[in-house]
Amino acid sequence: MTRLNSNQVIALLLALLAVGYLAMAWQIPSFPLPRPIDSDLFPKVLGFTLLGLSVLLFLEKPKAQDVPEALDPEEQQQPLLLRPWSRVVVTAISLAVYAVLLVPVGFVLTSVGLVFGLAAYYGYRRHWINLATAVGVVLALYLTMTRVMGVYLPTGVLPI
Amino acid sequence: MEALNNLMYGFSIALEPINLFYVFAGVFAGTVIGMLPGLGPISALALMIPLTFGMEPSSGLILMAGVYYGAIFGGSTSSILLNAPGVAGTVATSFDGYPMAKQGMAGKALAIAAYASFIGGTVSIIFLMMVAPLLGRVAVSFGPAEYFSLMVLGLTAVVSLSDKSLVKGLIAAVVGVMISIMGIDLQTGTERFTFGTVHLLDGIEFLVVALGIFALAEVFYMLLKGGGGKEQPRNAIGSLKLSKSEVKDIAAPIGRSSILGFFTGVLPGAGATIGSFLGYSMEKRLAKDGDTFGKGNIKGVAAPESANNAACTGSFVPLLTLGVPGSGSTAVLLGALLVMGVSPGPAMLVDRPDVFWGVVASMYLGNIFLLVLNLPLIPLIAKILDMPRPLLLSLILIFCMIGVYGMSFSVFDLLLLLGFGLLGLGMRLFGFPAAPLILALILGAIMEESMRRALQISGGDWSIFIDKPISMWLLIIAALSLMLPLVKQAIKLAKARS
Repeated sequence: MTRLNSNQVIALLLALLAVGYLAMAWQIPSFPLPRPIDSDLFPKVLGFTLLGLSVLLFLEKPKAQDVPEALDPEEQQQPLLLRPWSRVVVTAISLAVYAVLLVPVGFVLTSVGLVFGLAAYYGYRRHWINLATAVGVVLALYLTMTRVMGVYLPTGVLPI
Repeated sequence: MEALNNLMYGFSIALEPINLFYVFAGVFAGTVIGMLPGLGPISALALMIPLTFGMEPSSGLILMAGVYYGAIFGGSTSSILLNAPGVAGTVATSFDGYPMAKQGMAGKALAIAAYASFIGGTVSIIFLMMVAPLLGRVAVSFGPAEYFSLMVLGLTAVVSLSDKSLVKGLIAAVVGVMISIMGIDLQTGTERFTFGTVHLLDGIEFLVVALGIFALAEVFYMLLKGGGGKEQPRNAIGSLKLSKSEVKDIAAPIGRSSILGFFTGVLPGAGATIGSFLGYSMEKRLAKDGDTFGKGNIKGVAAPESANNAACTGSFVPLLTLGVPGSGSTAVLLGALLVMGVSPGPAMLVDRPDVFWGVVASMYLGNIFLLVLNLPLIPLIAKILDMPRPLLLSLILIFCMIGVYGMSFSVFDLLLLLGFGLLGLGMRLFGFPAAPLILALILGAIMEESMRRALQISGGDWSIFIDKPISMWLLIIAALSLMLPLVKQAIKLAKARS
């Protein structure tokens, strides 16, 4: 059996999504009063359209732009945590942690931590400038949002 | 005369000190964000939306319009200095702008870009003033069937004119519509695709998707491509002065490309990118020295720059008169307007003339700001390009997070933002265009509403969409627009064979 190309793998995933979507569309309850079209019609049309498009995608040969370019081999030789995909994963995890800690710890501390920590992780070695920028930008944002625009941001453990 | 009176009314709004400040701030912020490689007008607009919370709609739109054409203008700076266009609409500018910079004439290229943008922008505002009210009058007669067909056309045009796979563009559009209809169905009160969570009852905020798919995905992409630590060397700027003969050389190309750009912008799906490429190729064909295009010809900078700014203004025509955006950027603008409680459309000219004419007048001022302030400030603003990339990326991340949190105060939305960022990265890596998704996200719910209203009027008879002549023609054009990529491919094959 020949290996599936990237379009075919994505097409299969999309087809699964379409089937799941259609199954959910069929569970949308009907409106008690009769109407020319109910809430479920449009989703059903969308589900079938996506299914049809996944079939077309399965049959479409991937072009150069449909396949991710090879990553820089030099970057791939770096320690595991500094490789390109690791950078994306670490950033995504940091953002998730930021979201979870935002309310209990507070906007200022978590945001300074995120900006400083990620810039240092990405390779910025001038730590004092990094810290000053992080504190300056975050405080400016915090004061503008809370004092000027009247938007509440969580204070967390800091008494401001 | 009526247009002149309306314009005067618009100026009375745009010249209010606070609005003057917003024009300046929008143009400046747009220039700075648009200059950063990778961050285009859609990211710039999405990043600025949180600032419009609680603003007067006219002020909010004045700010956002400034960001939009500022971003297009800013993109030319990184095109010329780094050969790294911040915006797709300025890719054509880099063809001759970067060679000029390498020859030590970066200042000249930037000055030409500024003058061309100014003239392109100003000429197209005059056209906008003339065309928009006319189109608005026609659009008043549109019913739900016509609106549905118009939105179908807007979506298919964006899909067919993108340089990526037609099937993938359509998939992106369908997924965008799917996201848009999540939550409570406003017509029946039925819950759809909420997965039993209260967080999804109101659906997904478009800002979460826009920031995720564009700005956050761009940061992820830069991290993947080694943008974390590497800096690009940029060319020195040099003198900004132009000689008389150079001014004479670029005058005609700027005039022609401005008009071409405007009408390209009005068409759904076209816009700054296509406008700039059309302007560039038209001038290359017309020029006696066409063979020097790509090697630092000043007309090769003037034409795409005037065309892209003109197209940017042109794209306001369908947005303001029909309430249907023709591009990803104007879709984000529409989203911002809806957040502010304004629904653009034919009625807006009558109901909210302050918004329409205020924005038109602010565009004149914005273009003057772009020229008078940005030209002398360009050497200073360009220093932003020297900002260490690691610091810049982490700051963009925090802007995205605070933008979403400041709007919804929801940690769930922050996690959704992350999810859409990763989805955007995947789309980018595997060749799925993002503009159809964002346009569909904005249009999806309105499209369904129009479709259901039309069917309610016809008692469930689908032929209403072809019985009405305007609706029928819009659907025919939509179908033809989907054939366009096939026709292009057939021509390519025929050429290759011959």
